[in-house]
Amino acid sequence: MSIDAERLKLPLARPNVLELAPLYEVLRREAPIAPVTTPAGDPAWLVTRYEEVRLLLGDKRFGRSHPEPEKASRISTAAVQDGPTGEFTTEEADHTRMRRLLTPAFSAKRMRLLGENMEQLVDSCLDALIAEHERTGVVDLHRGLAFPLPVAMICRLLGVPEEDNELFASLSERMAGTEIGEEAHKAREEFFRYMVGLVETKRGALGEDVISDLVRAQAEDPSFDYVEMVRLCVGLLFAGHETTVNRIGLGVLFLLTERSRWDALVADPDGRVDAVVEEVMRLGAPGDLGLLRYAREDVDIAGVTIKAGDALVLSTNAANRDATVYSHAEEFDPDRPERTHLGFGHGAHFCIGASLARTELRVVFAALAKRLPSMRLAKELDQLQVRATLTGGVAELPVTWRSA
Amino acid sequence: MNIVVDQGKCVGAGQCVLAADDVFDQRDDDGLVDLLNASPPAERLADVRHAAAVCPASAIQVED
Repeated sequence: MSIDAERLKLPLARPNVLELAPLYEVLRREAPIAPVTTPAGDPAWLVTRYEEVRLLLGDKRFGRSHPEPEKASRISTAAVQDGPTGEFTTEEADHTRMRRLLTPAFSAKRMRLLGENMEQLVDSCLDALIAEHERTGVVDLHRGLAFPLPVAMICRLLGVPEEDNELFASLSERMAGTEIGEEAHKAREEFFRYMVGLVETKRGALGEDVISDLVRAQAEDPSFDYVEMVRLCVGLLFAGHETTVNRIGLGVLFLLTERSRWDALVADPDGRVDAVVEEVMRLGAPGDLGLLRYAREDVDIAGVTIKAGDALVLSTNAANRDATVYSHAEEFDPDRPERTHLGFGHGAHFCIGASLARTELRVVFAALAKRLPSMRLAKELDQLQVRATLTGGVAELPVTWRSA
Repeated sequence: MNIVVDQGKCVGAGQCVLAADDVFDQRDDDGLVDLLNASPPAERLADVRHAAAVCPASAIQVED
């Protein structure tokens, strides 16, 4: 692939945190697999149509590794999903082993059992916010709920001390930073060193948690590389809170920027929360890029030839708004007949934390609707501070329920 | 209705359990799909079809 002047440069600027660039609609219709230049300045293919995004996510000819990683297109200037990961020759076997190891800890049944625990945690967050609101009249749902809940849950699952939360949250933020250059990569190294310390502390007294499981598995399996194990722990801690924190924020914004959406949930929280969560998963579009893949061989698809080693940015954000799949695709409508989306991905890399995230989101939105029915945003959408990270989202969620 | 699952394809996403937990479960030891009922009553067809449609690994086949 060669870079030419016509190439689109990612990211495509969006009007606000809830909407996507209008150009995506044109791309889906006219160039569903389009040559682009990544934020890092390298060539890649941008895939925007639902059909192709789903197909490619499920196709083993596309992976996360590259035969010559140093020659691969770099995607982002952040230190997450910025380039190839893993060994080209053993990728599939490594990934299968990792899934086998982790899947039981994140199963739907286990997550459901955690639900009651989450409800108590959410209730205590809301108690504290309500008390604060008595004094101040405005509270920050980001700091008081959207952040502490996912952090507490992933700490318990992984066996990470909750008191480290400020440290790993700030490392995550910097690691995903898109406007801080080399700092993002320094943060990734710091995060790695933090995790080595944690792993070695735990090794003396392994417990019933995911990091302990990984330490045991790595000690028993000579083909399981130590560095790979630590990277996996970092990835789980990063993805296990960052994504859900953002999704809670986007969900609150979708619901509160159009009163009828919120009122419908308030009228029947238990009956409507599941559908609301799925619609938040479909329409919520954190970050401006997509899922990264590299072609393992030459592939002809949708009128283009993708060469072995080419990078692809699969825009699940754009695919989830494809008008050929969803009726009035840009509208927030939990009652829509289409029940599937790519918000958790598809195929072998389908989000391992999907059941955890769904349980958290259901508990959060049901509790908010029941306990704070007259809640509204205390700032305009356009005034909210948006985070300059790969995973996007807002840095604050000021709300009030004071009578106007 | 007859349901066939392919544990070789299954990636343990648990989507089927959320769609129809009377028909699908995840095994405790590896998280892979456990088919509880291969021929549930006809009124379960919509949920079972949904489970097959959302399976990220296309590991569920449903015959009427």
